[in-house]
Formats: sequence, C-alpha cells, structure tokens
Amino acid sequence: MKNLLRFFILIIPIGGILFFYNILTEDKFYPGASFKNTSVPQFELLSLQSKSPLINDDLNNEMLLNVWASWCITCRIEHGFLMKLKSEGITITGLNYKDEASDAIDWLNLYGNPYNYNLHDLKGSLALDMGVTGAPETFLIKNGVVLVHYSGEVNQGIWDKVFLPIIQDNEMFK
Amino acid sequence: MIGEVSHFFSILASGLFFLSFVFSIRTYSGNHNLEVLVSRVFSYGFSFILISFLLYVWLAIQSDFSIRYIAEHSNKDLPTFYKISSIWSAHEGSMFLWILFLAGWSQLFNYSLSKNDLLKAPAIGVLAFIIFGFLIFLLFTSNPFETILPIAPTNGADINPVLQDPALVIHPPFLYLGYVGFVIAFAYNTAFLIKGDMQINWESVIRSWSLAAWILLTIGISLGSWWAYYELGWGGYWFWDPVENVALMPWLAGTALIHSLYVSSRSKVLRGWTILLSISVFSLSLFGAFIVRSGIIDSVHAFANDPQRGLYLLAFSAVLITSSLTFYVYRLPQLVSKNLVVAKSKESFLTINNILFAAAIFAVMLGVMYPLIFDYLYDERISVGPPYYNTIFAPLTFLASAFLVFSVGSLWQRSSKLFFLKSFLSMSIIFALIVTMFSVYFYQEYQWWFIGGIFSGFLILIRYFFLIVDSFMKKNYFNKSSATAHIGLGVLILATTLNAALSYEKIINIKPGETYKGDAYEFFLIDFDLINESNYDSVQAKFSVKPIDSPKEVFFMFPEKRKYFIRGQITSESAIKITPLKDIYMTLGDQLESGYWVVNIQYNFLIRWIWIAAAIMCFGGFTALIERLRKS
Repeated sequence: MKNLLRFFILIIPIGGILFFYNILTEDKFYPGASFKNTSVPQFELLSLQSKSPLINDDLNNEMLLNVWASWCITCRIEHGFLMKLKSEGITITGLNYKDEASDAIDWLNLYGNPYNYNLHDLKGSLALDMGVTGAPETFLIKNGVVLVHYSGEVNQGIWDKVFLPIIQDNEMFK
Repeated sequence: MIGEVSHFFSILASGLFFLSFVFSIRTYSGNHNLEVLVSRVFSYGFSFILISFLLYVWLAIQSDFSIRYIAEHSNKDLPTFYKISSIWSAHEGSMFLWILFLAGWSQLFNYSLSKNDLLKAPAIGVLAFIIFGFLIFLLFTSNPFETILPIAPTNGADINPVLQDPALVIHPPFLYLGYVGFVIAFAYNTAFLIKGDMQINWESVIRSWSLAAWILLTIGISLGSWWAYYELGWGGYWFWDPVENVALMPWLAGTALIHSLYVSSRSKVLRGWTILLSISVFSLSLFGAFIVRSGIIDSVHAFANDPQRGLYLLAFSAVLITSSLTFYVYRLPQLVSKNLVVAKSKESFLTINNILFAAAIFAVMLGVMYPLIFDYLYDERISVGPPYYNTIFAPLTFLASAFLVFSVGSLWQRSSKLFFLKSFLSMSIIFALIVTMFSVYFYQEYQWWFIGGIFSGFLILIRYFFLIVDSFMKKNYFNKSSATAHIGLGVLILATTLNAALSYEKIINIKPGETYKGDAYEFFLIDFDLINESNYDSVQAKFSVKPIDSPKEVFFMFPEKRKYFIRGQITSESAIKITPLKDIYMTLGDQLESGYWVVNIQYNFLIRWIWIAAAIMCFGGFTALIERLRKS
C-alpha cells in the first residue's frame, strides 16, 4: 500500500495536464475569439472614400466587419486572405481604425480593396464601443448582431475553425 | 538573405541538440567513448544558436522588414536600443531569447562540469532534449524568421509605447535568465534519478547554479514590479496579475530549494524533498511559459495566439514533468532518509518553512487555477483578487518569519534550547513586541496584518542584530550572506506592511492658476505645455509643490499624457517625487468640460524600500554565491 501511495504525487500534474488539454481542445476555445452575441452599437461615421455619412442601417444583413489600418503590419498579411474571401462572395466592410484617410486610400490603391466600403473611424470611437483593442480584429455580423468577435489575424485555419461553424449554423452567405 | 542564414543556423542547432541527446542515450549501454561526443556536439549546438541569434539582432538593427516579426514589432525611427529590445517584445522573439538563455546556461554547465562527472553525459542529454523540444516549438509554431514576400513593407509597426522603457528592456532578459537557470537543477537531478547511484553528491553541484538563478529571478521580478509602478500609472508595486503569479511560484519554490540545498551540506535528511523541489521549480517555470503563451488567460502580459502553441507546450511539459516525476517516485524509497528530523534542530525549522512555502505555492496556484476551472465548469468569468492573496500570504509570511528566527542560533541535528529567558530569541521577541506596541499606538492601526507585519519584520531585524553583535563580541563565525538576505526580508515585510497601512490618494479637480492644499503639501498648477516629439504629442502639467512644514523647499512635478502617432495610443506618464520615506505620485487624468483637469495624487509610503529590500536580498545571495565559487 505504502508503495502505491507514493504514485499520488503524479496525480496532481497529470490532472492539471488533462484539464488544460480539455480546455485547449474545446470546440469553442480559441484565444482571441469571443462568441457572445451582442448588438452593433449605434454609430455615425463617414465613409472613407466618398465621405458620405453612414449609420447602422447601412450595414449589410450578413457581413464581416474588419478592423484595419495602414500602419498595421498584420493587416497587410491578413489582406491576402480577405481578397480571397471577397472572391468567394463574402461581404466585407472595413472599419478603418485610427488612420489618416489619405494613407488608408493609398494603401487600398496599392494592395487592392477587399471591402465593399469603409467606415472611417479616425478617433476609434465605434471600435472602442465594440471592444476593439487593436488591429486587425474581425466581426461576423448578422442582422445587426455580432456572432463572432475575433482579435488577431484571420487566416484559412482561423476561418475554418472559428468562423465557418457559426456561418453554417446560421445559414449565412448562401 | 541574412534572415535565411540565421534561420538555417537555428535548424542546424536543433539537429545538433537532437544528436547530442541520442548520443547520451547510447552512453547508457556502456559506450563511454560517446560521452565526450555528447558534450562536444552540445557545444556546437550552442554556438549555432548563438550565431543565429546574433544574426537576428543584426537584422533587427538593420530594420529588415522582410522578416515579418521585425516588421510587426519594430520601426525605422526607433533608437537602436529599442530596435534590439523589440526582439523580446512579443511571443516569437521572446521565445527565441528564452531558448538562447536556456542553451547558454546549459553550455556554461557543460563547460564547467568535469569530464569525470558520472552524471555529465545524462544531464547534458536531458538539457539537449529540452532545448531541442523548445527549438522545434520555435521553428514550427512560432517562427520568428517568417518572411513577408514578395514586397517588404517600407516601415514597421512599432513596439507598444508602454514597452519603450529602459526597465522593460532588461526586465524580460533577467526574468528568463532566472526561469531557465533552474533547468540545471532539474536536468542534473533527473540524470541522478535515472542513474540511481545514491552515493553521488549532486547537492554540491547544483547549489551555486540554483543560487545564481534565484538571484536573477529576484532581479527580474523586482524590475517588473518597479516598471509597473512608474509606467502603468496605477501606483502599485504588485497586482497579483496571473502572469506575476506564475513568476512568483518558481521564485517561492526556488527560495525553498536554495534553503533545502543549504541543509544538504550538513545532513542528507531532506534529500527526497530537495529533489522534488528542484523538479518543481523548473516545472513551475514551464507552467508559467505555458500559461503566458497558450492564450488561456487574459492579461496585460499574455501573448494572444493560436491553440497549436498551447497544445505543443502542454504536451512537451507533460513529457518532461511526468517522466522526471516518475523516476522520482520510482527512486523515492532509496531517497527517504532513515534518520528522522530532530525536533527543534536547525533542519526541523527549515523543514517547517519548506512546508509553509509549499502552502504558499499551493495558494497561488489555486488563485491562478480557480478562475479557469470556474470558467470551464460554469462558463462564467470570475477573478481572484488581492484580498484573497493578502489574506493567505500575510499569515504564512508571519509564521515563516517566526520559524526563520527560531532557526537562527539553533543547532544542526541537535535539539536546541531556545526559549530560556535570557536567550537572544526571547529578548528579540520582547523587543519586537515593544516596538510593535509603540507602532500600533503611534499609527492607531489595529488591523491584524499590521500588527503581524510590524512584529515579524522587527523580530527578524532584531534577532539578526543580536546575532551580528554577539558574533563580533565573541569573534564567532556567522553566515554574513544569510544575515544580509534575511535582513532584506525583514525590511521587505516592514516596507510592505507600512506601505499598505499608510499610503493614501486624493483625486482633485484643478485648473491653471489654482492651488490645492493637501495635508502636507500645497500643489500649485502653473500651466500646461504642449510638447511635440518625433513619435508623440504630449500635454504636460507644470506643478510647483510646496511642503507646508518647510515652505522654502519648493519642487516641481510634471505629470503628462502622451499620444503616440503610429498606433494612436494614449499613455499617462506619472510624475514621481522621491523622498526617503515616501513617494508623491501624480497622474494626469482627463480634462473636464468645465476646463478643470482631474489629477490623482498618491502618497506611497516606503515604496522605495520594497525594491531596496529586494536589492539587499539579492546582494546577500550574491555574496553567498561568490563565497561558494571561491571555495570550489
């Protein structure tokens, strides 16, 4: 008995390891992803290119809202994947974040424009209300409700694991 | 191009470490010729990692933005100093530095061990395996060499302005050096457990290494606390943030380890316990790396990332910890000493304090894990805050202080008479009680933690005062390093207690030309300056502050708010006036519509003494280390 008792020392680390394994492999566990359904806050911002005012009603029913800026290197890297999503017929609206309008427009002209249009959030007020902490961040929105909020770069892996299941559940982008 | 070369050297290094590990396994079957090869291949592995890192530093200095990591975390306009430190400002680069240090410590150990050391080949093999595992982690899940092709950006994204700070440039390196330094004790003890030759005196080999790691970890944690104090604008020195906690656990275990190793020089009675500690320290370091880098917790320090990293780190830590512990459990019957600890001997008090340290580690672990378990089970976020930790830590500290004081002047392996009336212990208790009563009366503070803190702080200081005086009178030997480090502990307990009891803050609304009259100072807001720097704009308030008692000693304070261009981040730069007994800590808040500004004034008592105490403790550790190195 006493011989076996000493193996109890191993139980603590093994228990911890199993616990963390469970968390990490949980379907919904993705660092940076949040699945709380919240509504898009009220906003009134100018369009980046046309300078016309935009409000909540101007948002598409089914869309991605992508927070980006010309100073953001990760957005540069994410950009290629957004172009691919656009070519697959996904509507992406840009939320240009704390950026000079001219810099942002130059950036889009240089690398290509994956967005149907851009909200110009110079002060980051809408971004603040939506809980944005930096760029890039991406929201999946259906009828004014945020289904997914992802902080960080969206790539094929993140898209497949974080976004696609929710998109399929809600029968979006058909 | 240099980026590819640097990348290539890292890949080669991982191959060499793997080779060294394979050779060390082959030595178990009695192939002793390979032992030299294990060590030599290991040295090559280290050289390659070093070359790779130096090339990477060169890339960072040259602002090579074709490297994605450098483009994301550095900027052309940064001073060279920060271009280099941007390497450890985020996950991939800091992991690279972590591995470099891991390999560096290991190589020093490899170099210093004699060829005839029976445990050399297996210990170097364990180290090679650990480094190999982390290099694979780096190259496959967190590659800092990844490039942006075909066109590199013309400028980088800059590092977070909060991190552009001298203390933060050196804080992570010290912390990592401390964390990974304990790998030596882990590897050597694992080798000892594998070999199972109980005659080997491993304690004397790892003592200095553990002590050195402990000193560096103490410096690293203190620097982090100091930085948080003046940079984050909250005015506190310790926040019980999960990432601070995961640094505190290896520190607590490391402290217990260096004390247990000290016992081992006199008796083998704590052998089993000491090995368990040495496994625990590095395991807790791994746990820290896992918590910070897996994205499991939200924290100012955490690196958000993908779960692959978490899974890899978890699996690798699991292999290291469980295999080492399995060997431990297997050898345990041989390790347990036949002799019992004699009651009221020196080692009995050290044993009790070991248990108290284990309780403290357990308490911190519980505080870190509880919100995770709760979130997992009930999908609800809760946080475990300072009240929990303070309530648990204060009594543990008081108890540990008491047993520390008992151990001073007690005897090895013999029961000591401590409590007779004229003993130094009794006298210390009486004096400490008197001082405590005066303090309670003077400050009118009757909280249990205040009484306990003052009493235990003074008890330690007075007991060591007696020890020093007595030793000088009788020309006896006493352990000066230990006395220094423990006096540091006494100062730390007093400083934290008085800081908690006396500090207070005032939030005022003020506009230029007005004066705010506080308890001891008059604050006159002269006006505001607008400053345009190359990478930020700032609003700076100019205060002239007049002490009411001595109106001639007017000084100025300039709290400011900065807005950085590149990310639009707003930071608050506190103004701090340092006096020997307290800091005046001023933070500029927002401007109200009425034109008034919100200003927060904190009086932080004895806060400098907390870091001074840490410095004293480190100094004590340092002299002990020097003495040990001189002996050997």
